[in-house]
Amino acid sequence: MTNLSPAEIAGYLRQLGEGALVTLELFLTSFAAAFVLGVLIGVVTLSRSRIIRAVWRVYASIFMGVPSLLVIFLIYYGGSAMLSAVLGELGAGVDISPFGAGVAAFAAVYAAYIAELVRGAIDNLPKGQFEGARALAIPPLVMWGKVILPQAMRLALPGLVNVWSFMLKETPLVSLAGLQDLVASAKIAAGATKEPFLFFIATALVFIAFSALTLRLATVLEIRLDRGVRRPDARASAGAQA
Amino acid sequence: MSALPVDLDLAWRSLPELLAGLRVTVLITVLPLMFGLALAFPICFARMAERRWQSLPAEIFVVFFRGAPLLILLYVVYYGFGQIALLREGPLWLLFGSPFGCVIVALTLNHAAYMTEVLRGSLLAVPSGIVEASEALGISRRHIFIWVKMPLAIRYGLKAYQNEVVSFVKGTAIVSVVTITDLTAVANGIFEQTYDPFTPILCAAALYWAFINLLRIGFELWGRWLARHQREEDSPRTAEAPGRFGLRRLSRLAKAML
Repeated sequence: MTNLSPAEIAGYLRQLGEGALVTLELFLTSFAAAFVLGVLIGVVTLSRSRIIRAVWRVYASIFMGVPSLLVIFLIYYGGSAMLSAVLGELGAGVDISPFGAGVAAFAAVYAAYIAELVRGAIDNLPKGQFEGARALAIPPLVMWGKVILPQAMRLALPGLVNVWSFMLKETPLVSLAGLQDLVASAKIAAGATKEPFLFFIATALVFIAFSALTLRLATVLEIRLDRGVRRPDARASAGAQA
Repeated sequence: MSALPVDLDLAWRSLPELLAGLRVTVLITVLPLMFGLALAFPICFARMAERRWQSLPAEIFVVFFRGAPLLILLYVVYYGFGQIALLREGPLWLLFGSPFGCVIVALTLNHAAYMTEVLRGSLLAVPSGIVEASEALGISRRHIFIWVKMPLAIRYGLKAYQNEVVSFVKGTAIVSVVTITDLTAVANGIFEQTYDPFTPILCAAALYWAFINLLRIGFELWGRWLARHQREEDSPRTAEAPGRFGLRRLSRLAKAML
C-alpha cells in the first residue's frame, strides 16, 4: 500500500515528533495558565460584591458562548493593537506569535470553565471549614492554600479531567493560526507523500493515546486527593489498586 | 486608536455577508445534529449489547471519533478518504467529492460518537425496577423502549445533550479549512480585505454568542416543559397567572441562563 522508503518514513517521523513536542508544550502551558487563572477567578468571584459578580457573569457568558477559534484569531490578529492600547509605548513593538496567541486564548476561555468548577466545589464545602479556620486564626493565605483549596480540588477533579481532555482536542486549532504543531507537520507530510489517510489517522491515534494515558494518571491523582476522606477499611484495597 | 475598537460602518456594511455565513453555520449544525442522533441509536444499542462482537466495534467507534480532534477528523475525511479507491469510484463519491459532503460526514461521525455516550448514560440511568414493572405488565419490549425508557432518558440526559450541542456549534468554526464559507470564514475574509482585526471577528463572535444562547434558551424551555408535572405540584398556580407570561418569566429565564 505504501511506497515509502524506511529513510523517508524516519524523516517524517522525526518531523512529526517535533510537531508533537510543540503541541504538548502548547497544551501544558495553556492548561497551567488556565488552571492558575481559573482558580484565582473562582476564588475572587466568590465575593459578595455585586460588581465583581456581574463582571464574572459577563466574562463567563462571553467566553463560554464563542468558539475558541475566534478567540485565537482575535488575539493573533489584534493582540499587538490591544497590547499597545493597554501598555502604551511599551507594548507597541510586541508581535504576537501563534503560540502566544494560542496560550492566551485557551487561558482566557478555559479559565472561565475552571473558575465555574472551582466555584461550585468551594460552594459545596461545609461552612464549618471556613469558620474553623477563622476560629483558629489561620491567616487567609494559609487557609486557602492548606484548608479550602485541597478539599475543593478533590471535588472539582472530575470536571477538571473533562476540561483537560476537551482542551487537548482543541489544541490543533492553533495550527490554523500558523503554529507548526503536530497537525501542521502531519498535513505537510500527508501532502508530500500523498498518504494523507495514514498520517492523519496516526495523528488522531497519538491524541487518543495521550488522552488515555493521562486519564490513567487522573485516577492515580484521584486516589491521592481522596486520602483524607478514605475510610480505614477501604485503604487497603485502594492501596492495592494504586 | 478610538476607545471603541469596532468600526460601526464596516460592521453595518458586512452584516449581510456575515448573516450569509451564519446561515451556513446553522446548516452545518442542524444537518449533522439530525444525522448524528439518528446514527447514535443503532451504535448505542450495539454498544450496550451483551455479545462482545457487537459491543466491541461500537466501543472502538466511540473511542476513535470522540478522542480524535475534530480538525483531524475533517482532514481524514477530506484528504484521506479520497485515497480509498472503492469510495473514489463508487456512487458515494458524490458525497465525499464535495467539501460540503465531507464536512457533514466528519461532523456527523463526531456527533454520533458523543451522542452514543450521552444516550447510553441516560438509558443506564433509568431505574431497572420501572423496566421490570413494565415487563411484568406484559408490555412489549419495543413499547417499553419508546414509552417508558426514552421519555425518562430524555429527562436525565437533557443537560448532557445541551452541553454537547453547544460545544458542537463551537466546533463547527473549523470548517473553513476545507473551503466552506461559514461565519468564521466570512469574518476571516473581511479581516484579510480590510486588515481591521477587531470589527469582523467581534461581529462574528456576537452572532455565535446569540446563536448559542438561543439554543440554550430553547433547551431551558424544553427542560421546563418536560418537568411541567413537577412544577405544578410545588408552586401555587397564582404565581404563574397567564397575563404574567411576559417580563417576569423572561427575566427569570435570563437569570437561569447567566
